Amino acid sequence: MKISLTVNGKQYAHEVEPRMSLTHYLREVLNLTGTHIGCDTSSCGACTVLLDGVAVKSCTILAVQADGCEVTTIEGLAQGSDLHPIQEAFREHHGLQCGFCTPGMVMTAVDILQNNPNPSEEEIRHGLEGNFCRCTGYHNIVKSIQHAAEKINA
Amino acid sequence: MKNIDSDKHLRGESLYLDDLPTLQGSLHAMVFASPTAHGLLQKLELEEARKSCGVWGILTARDIPGENQIGNIIPDEPLFAEKEIHYRGQPIALILAESREAARQARQKIKVEIEEFPAVTTAEEAFEKGMFITEPRTFTMGDVDRAFAKCAHVFEGKTFTNGQEHLYLETQAAYAIPAEGDQIKIISSTQGPSQVQKAAAQVLGLPMHKIEVEVIRLGGGFGGKEDQATPWAVMAALGAQLSRRPVKLVLSRSDDLLMTGKRHPYSARFKIGLDENLKILAYEARFLQNAGAAADLSPAVAERTLFHATNSYFVKNARLSVYSCRTHLPPNTAFRGFGGPQGMFVMEAAIALAAQKLKIEARHIQQANLLQEGDRFPYGQRAEQALARKSWETAYLHYKADDLCRKAEDFNKKHEYIKKGVAFMPICFGISFTNTPMNQARALVHVYRDGSVGISTGAVEMGQGVNTKMLQVAASCFSIQPERIKIETTNTTRVANTSPSAASATSDLNGKALLKACEQIKKRLLKTAAKELKTNPQKISLQNECVLIDKKDSGLRWEELVQTALLQRVSLSETAHYATPKIRFDKKREKGRPFSYHVYGTAIITAKVDGLRGTYQIESVQIAHDFGKSMNTAIDLGQVEGGLVQGLGWMCMEELAYDKNGRLLSNALSTYKIPDLFSVPERIEVVPLEDEGHEAAILKSKAVGEPPLMYGIGAYFAILNAMRAFQSDLEPFFNAPMTPEKVLTGLLKKQVKNKPLHVEKRQIG
Repeated sequence: MKISLTVNGKQYAHEVEPRMSLTHYLREVLNLTGTHIGCDTSSCGACTVLLDGVAVKSCTILAVQADGCEVTTIEGLAQGSDLHPIQEAFREHHGLQCGFCTPGMVMTAVDILQNNPNPSEEEIRHGLEGNFCRCTGYHNIVKSIQHAAEKINA
Repeated sequence: MKNIDSDKHLRGESLYLDDLPTLQGSLHAMVFASPTAHGLLQKLELEEARKSCGVWGILTARDIPGENQIGNIIPDEPLFAEKEIHYRGQPIALILAESREAARQARQKIKVEIEEFPAVTTAEEAFEKGMFITEPRTFTMGDVDRAFAKCAHVFEGKTFTNGQEHLYLETQAAYAIPAEGDQIKIISSTQGPSQVQKAAAQVLGLPMHKIEVEVIRLGGGFGGKEDQATPWAVMAALGAQLSRRPVKLVLSRSDDLLMTGKRHPYSARFKIGLDENLKILAYEARFLQNAGAAADLSPAVAERTLFHATNSYFVKNARLSVYSCRTHLPPNTAFRGFGGPQGMFVMEAAIALAAQKLKIEARHIQQANLLQEGDRFPYGQRAEQALARKSWETAYLHYKADDLCRKAEDFNKKHEYIKKGVAFMPICFGISFTNTPMNQARALVHVYRDGSVGISTGAVEMGQGVNTKMLQVAASCFSIQPERIKIETTNTTRVANTSPSAASATSDLNGKALLKACEQIKKRLLKTAAKELKTNPQKISLQNECVLIDKKDSGLRWEELVQTALLQRVSLSETAHYATPKIRFDKKREKGRPFSYHVYGTAIITAKVDGLRGTYQIESVQIAHDFGKSMNTAIDLGQVEGGLVQGLGWMCMEELAYDKNGRLLSNALSTYKIPDLFSVPERIEVVPLEDEGHEAAILKSKAVGEPPLMYGIGAYFAILNAMRAFQSDLEPFFNAPMTPEKVLTGLLKKQVKNKPLHVEKRQIG
């Protein structure tokens, strides 16, 4: 099937198999490998991207479902050398270790703060409940998002 | 200093194995594994699969030019099963195809007939049947039988700790690329590149120098990629050797869960004897380790169980033995703590049982027995710079433990159906590979003519921040900006014969080697500067990219110095080797000084249990930890928090389940629960011990990878203590993980006997 979509501000049109997942389209067709595959079963959240501004697990979205949509991946978040405030906060507050879950965490955090610029700790935890991290113990991730919220609102 | 990979991680630019651009002509590999745990392979039909669209070929044991053997400590593990099947998930064949999808479709067409035999899945059953990996080991100190006879109190019990899936978020993966002639380059997601190299050479029938292994970084390892990254890397290499095409093998999550080993489940029996003053006079423990179907690292894991069986306590008379039992599960392997946590759990269970029977709090027994300077461990080493008591006292005072316990008691008086429990968890963890020869490392440093620096060591970055620490070592030695330094990939052609990144010792070993190499180059540079500035080398020093004479700026800058040295034909490269001094262990006598030093700490864990539902929340974990002189507080704190949460997961929620036929039931993230944001403690506090550090630690910054995991053990006992608050005569049970189901059934045992709880009276705490 033919799809056309915008990814990180760039227009793309491709012929894809109807059963190709959005993750595989991003990784294998567009070579945007920042979106990771952790579980294949939409449990871990490492593959989270924004589809028309909403965080989705791209492993359970078909590429054809993204036809006509705007997709933002981790690669599209920073403006040149300037990191997005959430990225900045993850760096400053050590919200990462091995980095594998990080893109998914950051993209989910973008969604959380878009919907709720002043989330409580509880709301952040609720928002991130579909994302696993095996390294950090989460505290620094929550802290990073709290600081990002403060910075965005300042 | 921030983790040097932060920026790349956050931009999605870091390259994990599956992110590497696929070279033209690459094949994708998929493993066909046994659907049966124990049996004899009678028939393997590959023809239909071979004809499947896009299939290049299917490899089995017959295609191996070298030896069908990848066992590390003991050669008991074939790469592909030939006749005997030892576990469900054991690789039988490798499909090579043009795409992953083509490989997957072909895999479904493989037919196998196996004559099935009953499977042994528990260590107890294997023990009864005499199925062992190696000879049992026993550590003895003092006269245990005589000491027991003198004890005022003796208690016996048994324990079980389940295994634990590593669940590194990046699954096992390798990419093998044929090079000129018969050489192969393997890019692997492994903690042990040299082990991959050795095993690949053996299977491919090539000398090691024809196999190059490279590691960029790992998306988590936790021990699961120490030995168990090897088969996939070797399979990819075999595929590349036979097809002469690049071969990528990335396990799907379900294949990874099915085919790889986990933390070892342990069953144990213990006997503990105390005197009137709560001093532990004698302790005996027998551990049955569920090793799975092959040795893997099990003998070494078993050994560490014995090393840590008395945890942070001085036990004058101890007899500790371990049996490594062969079962029909995937070979269990290294996992953060490496058998130590399993040993410590039993000691803590023994103390908890004694406390319950004596109607006192466990902390009184714990405190009375903490190690002191010069006390001997059962393996003969003396405790030096022993911080068991200091860490206990620091935690006790800093977190006002008496208040904490009193508040919990007050809470419990006021609440009928929700109770709190507080537990103390002191830890003592030995640093060094217990196999002494592994305690060596090498580093290679190049200073380039523009003043930039490239560093290669044997260390593998897997999130623990070792690359950041290596960079700090070099930057501080040369006194140059971190931006000038690049940490290269880990590659066996640059640094050979490496020990795996494991045993918490990676920064110490590689950092010490790196420091030596940097110091050699620095010495030559100082000599060059002295010559250039016509002064004595002793007067020269480097600071902030400047050359100083008698601590005053000479005007000579780092780049100029490097240029000058090059023109004067001074070597700007160096390789160095480090071997940990003063360690030895005699396995015949089971005595020695296996550890370079010990890491200590104490955690206070508070849990709140809902007696009607069995659910609980870990309210807080308050830790006093022995970092030495931490060279990177952010990274080290991250290790403490992450390790703790992984330990909590093992103790409280991660329930590995196999059925009696050896079939993994917890075979997806939906059925195997790792800690999520809601199950981590509401509060984690860490206070560093004021401490000089240890000479053997890199820049006196002590190893931090594994020790904090064992704070998690305290969560089990905090929950148990809360259960005691419901029922003072609760019969304690030691069967980890303490899932809510176990809490509930544990409490119900008595409630059912007497009277059911009245739900309408429920109070919300």
